[in-house]
Amino acid sequence: MASDQDEFLRATMGATDLVFNLSRRMTDSRQDAEDLVQETFLRAFRAWMDLRRPKRVEPWLATICLNLARSRFRTRARRPSEVPLEEWMVEPRPTADPESRAIEGIRREELYRAMHELPEEQRVAITLVDLSGLSTFEAADAMGTPRGTVLSRLHRGRRALARLLGDRIEEDIR
Amino acid sequence: MTRWTRRWLRRRPHDPERNAAEYVSGELSKRATRWFETHLLHCEDCWREVLLGRLGRRVAEEAREQAPAGLRDRVRAAVQFTSEGGPAGPPLGS
Repeated sequence: MASDQDEFLRATMGATDLVFNLSRRMTDSRQDAEDLVQETFLRAFRAWMDLRRPKRVEPWLATICLNLARSRFRTRARRPSEVPLEEWMVEPRPTADPESRAIEGIRREELYRAMHELPEEQRVAITLVDLSGLSTFEAADAMGTPRGTVLSRLHRGRRALARLLGDRIEEDIR
Repeated sequence: MTRWTRRWLRRRPHDPERNAAEYVSGELSKRATRWFETHLLHCEDCWREVLLGRLGRRVAEEAREQAPAGLRDRVRAAVQFTSEGGPAGPPLGS
């Protein structure tokens, strides 16, 4: 028979990418993001052991992660301008040629800067819906706001990203 | 204009931002999607918001990352450590 721990890991580990992406957008460094992911899973595990088990783990983990980020990590967050950009950049894909990697690097640099410059609530809405695949109903639950507010933040965030980066992307596609 | 459309419009005044956000997220019902796509043909405001919303969503999706493999192992170890009676998992940043 599977232990509670095995059951918990089986139910939640599939959401690691979601929690990681959310953590990356709530913190200023990769190290802080990884710490936040660990904290989130530990907090969730304690709740799981208290038999507080959700119907769907993704919105549940997102809520825990957001609450932790707001209460603990915000206090030591640095201003975006102080964050070395290389911390925000993903390692290039090994298969890409040097030129593609250079283009991708520039785009990611701009992308992370743009994402980080969005107001936090817009950044969170975009991360939950566009990066993590939550519905706007689930995102509203996780953020503790009405769905109409989430739709508005989501759209304003998308619009800001489109305006900031649209020209560059179109150039790359051409 | 059908009775359904009149009812929908009464419930939902013209709101290009909200319409575009729901449409781009794929959260309009089939019927509402059909209505909205017809509406887009002659509503410049909604059309512009949909274009911006689609592009913004595409841009956002570019930022998706995979969690490092080592992080999954670290989380597993922390949960195991906690369930075996450890204080609160291995120290952060380890």
